[in-house]
Amino acid sequence: MKIYTGSGDRGKTSLFSGERVAKDHERIEAYGDLDELNSVIGALAASLPHPAEGVRPELEAAQAVLFEIGAWLATSPGSAAAGLLPPVDPQAAAALERSIDRMDAALPSLGGFILPGGSPAGSWAHLARTVCRRVERRVVRLAAAQAATPGDESMQRSIVYLNRLSDYLFVLARHLNRIQGSAERLWKR
Amino acid sequence: METVTAESPGRSGPAAFRTRLLARRPLAASAFELSLAKPAGFTFTPGQRVRVHHAEAARDYSIAAAPGEEIIRLCLRRVATGGLSARLAEIPLGAELVFTGPHGYFTFQASARPAVFAATGTGVAPFCAMAAAGVSGFILLHGVAAQEELFYGDLLREKAAAYVPCLSGGRAAAAGHYRGRVTDYLRAQLPAGAYDFYLCGRQEMIRDATLLADERFPGSLVFSEVFY
Ligand SMILES: Cc1cc2nc3c(=O)[nH]c(=O)nc-3n(C[C@H](O)[C@H](O)[C@H](O)COP(=O)(O)OP(=O)(O)OC[C@H]3O[C@@H](n4cnc5c(N)ncnc54)[C@H](O)[C@@H]3O)c2cc1C
Repeated sequence: MKIYTGSGDRGKTSLFSGERVAKDHERIEAYGDLDELNSVIGALAASLPHPAEGVRPELEAAQAVLFEIGAWLATSPGSAAAGLLPPVDPQAAAALERSIDRMDAALPSLGGFILPGGSPAGSWAHLARTVCRRVERRVVRLAAAQAATPGDESMQRSIVYLNRLSDYLFVLARHLNRIQGSAERLWKR
Repeated sequence: METVTAESPGRSGPAAFRTRLLARRPLAASAFELSLAKPAGFTFTPGQRVRVHHAEAARDYSIAAAPGEEIIRLCLRRVATGGLSARLAEIPLGAELVFTGPHGYFTFQASARPAVFAATGTGVAPFCAMAAAGVSGFILLHGVAAQEELFYGDLLREKAAAYVPCLSGGRAAAAGHYRGRVTDYLRAQLPAGAYDFYLCGRQEMIRDATLLADERFPGSLVFSEVFY
């Protein structure tokens, strides 16, 4: 299959719902950042140390959910195309909560702000968390503009999911640093 | 006909099905139609495609029949010796084939704007599925090099508000045929306005038609399915 179509060479692209929009349209910015998040999670998965292999399926599951959210971001609310999209599954956020609780149970309590970093995998998790927060801000803005239109529920669920994913990535960073023996460094004023 | 393993990655990828080749008929010198048995449990929306797996190759083909029909019809161009299309032009009737699907989102979405279906060659296949399933009132542009390639003209003419064969090669066009490419028609003939464009087939046509939509038909929607 052809990777390129050339139809975006003049700065426009098509939404999933068919509209031609500028490449800096707020929806394109949002799913561009989402794509960045997905790629950073990929880098995180590639850097997992052997004892953390069990985390990989969780990261891949998150990547799959991000694709579903991306389709909603690329679709105008109320469009016929929105009817083709599967709703964002609320169970996905619940699954993250279970993982957060599992990892958190083995972590020391937080004594202040920790400096983002540590082991390579822990650092990727921190970076993923910050990109996730940026995506969340973009999605909140989009959702505010489309409130009470069809698809709104999936946008709200996306916001919940992204919020939980950021928390998950934060706890995961601490978990990865702990199992790799990388001591947490606290912010000292 | 049973379902074999779902093999695509991800959470719930399209299933794989076994089918049999029931019939084959020529459509033009280098194009032919395959009729496949419809496996139990296989459903699709007009405009979707299947991925045929055969002899270690996997290629996508749009379904050219309506979901209500008993067979799956595919419309293929024989493009290369040794490639899957050439093999499918020759495998014996009754042969078993495996496909996954349905794939894709190139489906018709009714709107207040007129729909323009633009195809090159076998790119007309998804529009045949839509027409056979009852979609009507569209403007259909079929770009081909020669008149004999205007397959499925009867079905499409019956359902279209305007059926416009666009002949890019050969002699002067016959009555009712446009002499030129699909994109020439869009540039010079289609009245200004907002449309829902559905573009299918060659990448160059899709690129040029999309850029024309941006320039000449603001407010239009563009959906596309690139074959090659
Ligand atoms: C989403 C999608 C839907 C498709 N639906 C159809 C369909 O309904 N009917 C169909 O005939 N093909 C369709 N194709 C193309 C098909 O998947 C194969 O690419 C084609 O059959 C060539 O495969 P091959 O193995 O014979 O030759 P390859 O060796 O893989 O390809 C040889 C070359 O043939 C050219 N080519 C490919 N398809 C066509 C074509 N249709 N007409 C003219 N030249 C072509 C390309 O330049 C390609 O590089 C579709 C492709 C995609 C991505």
